[in-house]
Amino acid sequence: MVAGITLAGWLFATLWHTEPAGKVRIRSGDTVFATLSLDQERTIEVPGPLGVSRIVIHNHQARFQSSPCHNQYCVHQGWLARAGQVAVCLPNRVSLELAGEKGYDSLNY
Amino acid sequence: MWRLIGLLICLLVLAGCSREPLYQSQSYVFGTLVDISIYGESEDRARALAGHVEQEFQRLHDSLHAWKPGSELDRLNAAFAAGKQVPVTPELAAILADAARFSAQSGGLFNPAIGHLIGLWGFQRDEFAPVHPDPAEIRKWVDAAPHMADIVIDNGHAGSRNPAVKLDLGGYAKGYALDLAANYLRKEKVQGALVNIGGNIIAIGKHGKRPWRVGIQHPRKAGPIATLDLPDGWAIGTSGDYQRFFETNGKRYCHIIDPRTGYPAEGVQAVTVLVPPMPDAGTLSDVASKPLFISGKDGWRGAATMMGIANAMLIDASGTIYLTPGMRQLLRFEEKGARVEEY
Repeated sequence: MVAGITLAGWLFATLWHTEPAGKVRIRSGDTVFATLSLDQERTIEVPGPLGVSRIVIHNHQARFQSSPCHNQYCVHQGWLARAGQVAVCLPNRVSLELAGEKGYDSLNY
Repeated sequence: MWRLIGLLICLLVLAGCSREPLYQSQSYVFGTLVDISIYGESEDRARALAGHVEQEFQRLHDSLHAWKPGSELDRLNAAFAAGKQVPVTPELAAILADAARFSAQSGGLFNPAIGHLIGLWGFQRDEFAPVHPDPAEIRKWVDAAPHMADIVIDNGHAGSRNPAVKLDLGGYAKGYALDLAANYLRKEKVQGALVNIGGNIIAIGKHGKRPWRVGIQHPRKAGPIATLDLPDGWAIGTSGDYQRFFETNGKRYCHIIDPRTGYPAEGVQAVTVLVPPMPDAGTLSDVASKPLFISGKDGWRGAATMMGIANAMLIDASGTIYLTPGMRQLLRFEEKGARVEEY
């Protein structure tokens, strides 16, 4: 009986667990470079074809801090805070996405 | 006790389903981001299917690249400029004929023959910078009137009656690639897939029991302005002034060039078109947004009719949203109080 309750408890935790909107997924090219909690202060260096993109996590948000690309669109995009928000550096092929339920599968732009 | 065991079995079954059979891959082709989602396949099979699609995209990209020396399109452009004829693959011949048909349908507003103008504005570069083209130079290429109808395809060879024709399939290739991907994934009997090439999306099947859901990027804010269900076979495309553009002296110059003036189209932030299932739904979703964008808020409904588009949205320079009645039914707006104008 105790085992049953424990199992049910474990199942509850498994079934009703949704990924908190507190993570950032960093991709370099076609691979996931890292999935990191936003609950920390950290700077990550991500290599791409042009050089190193610097990603900073601060105050539960994430952004491109610096990038070796020309236009700096990725840097100008600023802080990402909500689930589903994405910033991409096309030239250096580095992307950030805030994980969590965003209400859609893919973005048209 | 049996009840408890029954409950546990139910929970175990549910637990088995809790990990979605959803595979997602991301890659960089056509100078943009490619996202492929596949639902209901094993991870190995999904990876192989997505890999095949990405290889096909890369092949098309290499062949249709508008400014990479040595691409099939580059060699074709060199032949056009020199007044010569060169052999073309059956696939490229079919693409040229198809693009010419769309160009005629749009009254010339979709015009992939204006590669010289697009290059002049600096948009034929991976990383474009603000440029100030010489107005006389712009005039010259507008007056030279390059059209898709100038291209002659005969017996596997292509040439142009007008040496000013320079092809740039930037408003066609991604849509064509979507159709190619959709045909392949259907042939492979994939249960559900969503293919996104630089924002142009086509849906195959469903995301399990529910339709695929798509967000439409807000042209001036982070996140979507609206969301919608994208049913099996539907495609969606947007032309915006917010992805490929530059600003000088506070004025925005976007990558969509009006072939009539030779200058970037103005007065519109974004046009989105939604295309129901048809053999070239992806291509049409890519192509059709351009003539609507160039026509602006006074002419876009006429352009939509010409292109056979029933579902479209235009957002003008002030942020006012215009919708066709069909589109109104399909969109869910994210924010209340958006300024929406209807018929």
